[in-house]
Amino acid sequence: MDMHITDIKNPEINHENDPENMSLHERPSISIRAKVAISFSLFFILSFTVTGWSYWILTKLETKIDFLEIADNYMAEIQQARRFEKNYLLYSTDLEEALEHLKTADAILKQKNEQIEKILEKEHFKTMVTYMSKYHNQLVLLRSAKNDKEKELIVPMLRQFGSQMVSFAGEFVEKEQISAKRMFLLAKRVPLYFMSVLFVLMSFVLMFLARQLLLTLNRFMEYTKRIGEGDFSPILPARKYKDEFTKLAEAFNHMIKELDHKHNVLLESHKLRAIGTLVAGVAHELNNPLNNTLLTASMLTEDFHTLSEEEKMEMVNDVINETERAQRVVKNLLDFAREGETAIAPLEIGKIVEDSTRLVVNQVKFAKVNLELNCETNLPRIHGDEQKLKQVFVNLILNAVDVLTPGGQIRIHVQKDQTPGYVLVTVKDNGPGIPEHIQGRIFDPFFTTKAQSKGTGLGLSVSQGIIKKLGGYIHLTSNPDKGTIFTVSLPTTESASEIMSK
Amino acid sequence: MSKQPLKIMLIDDENIVGKRLKPALEKTGDIVETFEEGEKALARFDETPFDIVVTDIRMENIDGIEILEQVLAKSGRTKVIIITGYATVEIAREALSKGAFDFIAKPFKPADLRGIIERASKELRSGFLHTT
Ligand SMILES: Nc1ncnc2c1ncn2[C@@H]1O[C@H](COP(=O)(O)OP(=O)(O)OP(=O)(O)O)[C@@H](O)[C@H]1O
Ligand SMILES: [Mg+2]
Repeated sequence: MDMHITDIKNPEINHENDPENMSLHERPSISIRAKVAISFSLFFILSFTVTGWSYWILTKLETKIDFLEIADNYMAEIQQARRFEKNYLLYSTDLEEALEHLKTADAILKQKNEQIEKILEKEHFKTMVTYMSKYHNQLVLLRSAKNDKEKELIVPMLRQFGSQMVSFAGEFVEKEQISAKRMFLLAKRVPLYFMSVLFVLMSFVLMFLARQLLLTLNRFMEYTKRIGEGDFSPILPARKYKDEFTKLAEAFNHMIKELDHKHNVLLESHKLRAIGTLVAGVAHELNNPLNNTLLTASMLTEDFHTLSEEEKMEMVNDVINETERAQRVVKNLLDFAREGETAIAPLEIGKIVEDSTRLVVNQVKFAKVNLELNCETNLPRIHGDEQKLKQVFVNLILNAVDVLTPGGQIRIHVQKDQTPGYVLVTVKDNGPGIPEHIQGRIFDPFFTTKAQSKGTGLGLSVSQGIIKKLGGYIHLTSNPDKGTIFTVSLPTTESASEIMSK
Repeated sequence: MSKQPLKIMLIDDENIVGKRLKPALEKTGDIVETFEEGEKALARFDETPFDIVVTDIRMENIDGIEILEQVLAKSGRTKVIIITGYATVEIAREALSKGAFDFIAKPFKPADLRGIIERASKELRSGFLHTT
């Protein structure tokens, strides 16, 4: 864990200052570490308090039990004393025993006075001692009484002090017993309370942390999916604060930038390959107007003096037209091949598709397949890069050409999408279709079923990247009997042009 | 010259090719018919055989190789000259192995083709001498 964190802090892979990470960085920081630390401290404090409290209450209980034991002994002694007092009065037994018990009781009080004082508090302890000494005095008086008359004078006082002494002690013992019981009950319940509080807290922390972690992980999983599909836009902040995941997001953004760069390199190299393919066709296409020009010009010089003015004029015009034809062929290819800086502009999708079909016209001708273009009129313009869009359609048409046998059909439709704000281009062939088990892989870079010299497997991957970047999508419907349909959907610039026309 | 005129058939889907080559080839006194579609040319060949057939190799429906095969099947002594869009060794080899007299790559001058036709006609005439 620690290793990992220091790793992340390694300045070599610090992408905080990359421009795409600015928005990620401009947030207050609450790290996962801090969150974990806070939760743990909370747990610790709670456990500490509960343990401390339990210790305290048990100590208190201990003194109470001690006291109750002492009080019990004391009670027994004074009750015993009173019993002997009664016996003395009724049967004139010996009073010494009563005094003896009282003495023991006194000894108990003196010996344990600290413990008793703790519970009784000074005042009550004093009262207790006073009651006992008063009773003791009366007993001593009684013992020294000489006749019944004297005795009778002492007895009411003796009884009063005696019962006061016993009931005072008894009340205290009872009170302490009740309080001890209460304490026991509390001591028994507190662990249960603690457990419940702990449970609630644990669930909360678990839910909070786990939810956050899981949500964030899910978010990152979505990012990887998105990136895998060729969307190379940087990750934007999804929360109001930053933490360790921010570092991850920053690393992701760096990776995305690199991928985008690599993707552009691939795109360029695949375009070069497409140009290579197209050039073979263009050479043929170029030879026709060249041949026509050469033949016409040769005949013009050969027969210059015998030709009529009219014929000469026609021939010169042919030369001009054929030269222009050659120029168009070259221009079309050059437009496509031009070292392209991405230039996003409002475009007529119909024209782009038509230009693309013109680029591949020779490949189509050589393969002896038919290409049919059907374009709805008055389509809204789309946002895009002309060259890259042509690259997409050239790829799709060349793929279809590759799988078709002579006589095959390619049908291209340009139309409004059912989803408003989008236009659709469908490229449909009646070839062998794509087996279901490879349908999921054809957009993967380098996936190809063609011989090494024939296909790189980059066509569809690159095309998908281009379309995704423009906010559109490209998908496939294929059926072994009915061939393959590639559908490209692109967002229009509708709103903008609508405002312009008003 | 008491040479019997040769009958030459020219097939190319580029209309200018026929338009320019017809007068160029007729200068030697031969008879030239031009076609832009392979089907029509073959149908015409069925009506009357030609001594020399000059055909473009790449065309919409029927290509030059097919014309070569069908013409030779119909008339073995006919000389077939193939016009290729761009010179590639394979196409040339294929055409020759299938019995073409020669091939010529676009772009070419009328004189170049006339040279090949002259050679073909010489061969045809010497063939006449042998047979008659
Ligand atoms: N219209 C189609 N019909 C049948 N299979 C197709 C069609 N389009 C594409 N595929 C399949 O998808 C694979 C990937 O196509 P992709 O364009 O990415 O690469 P590629 O055509 O093989 O190579 P490259 O485009 O570099 O020439 C092809 O090899 C082919 O098997
Ligand atoms: Mg491809």
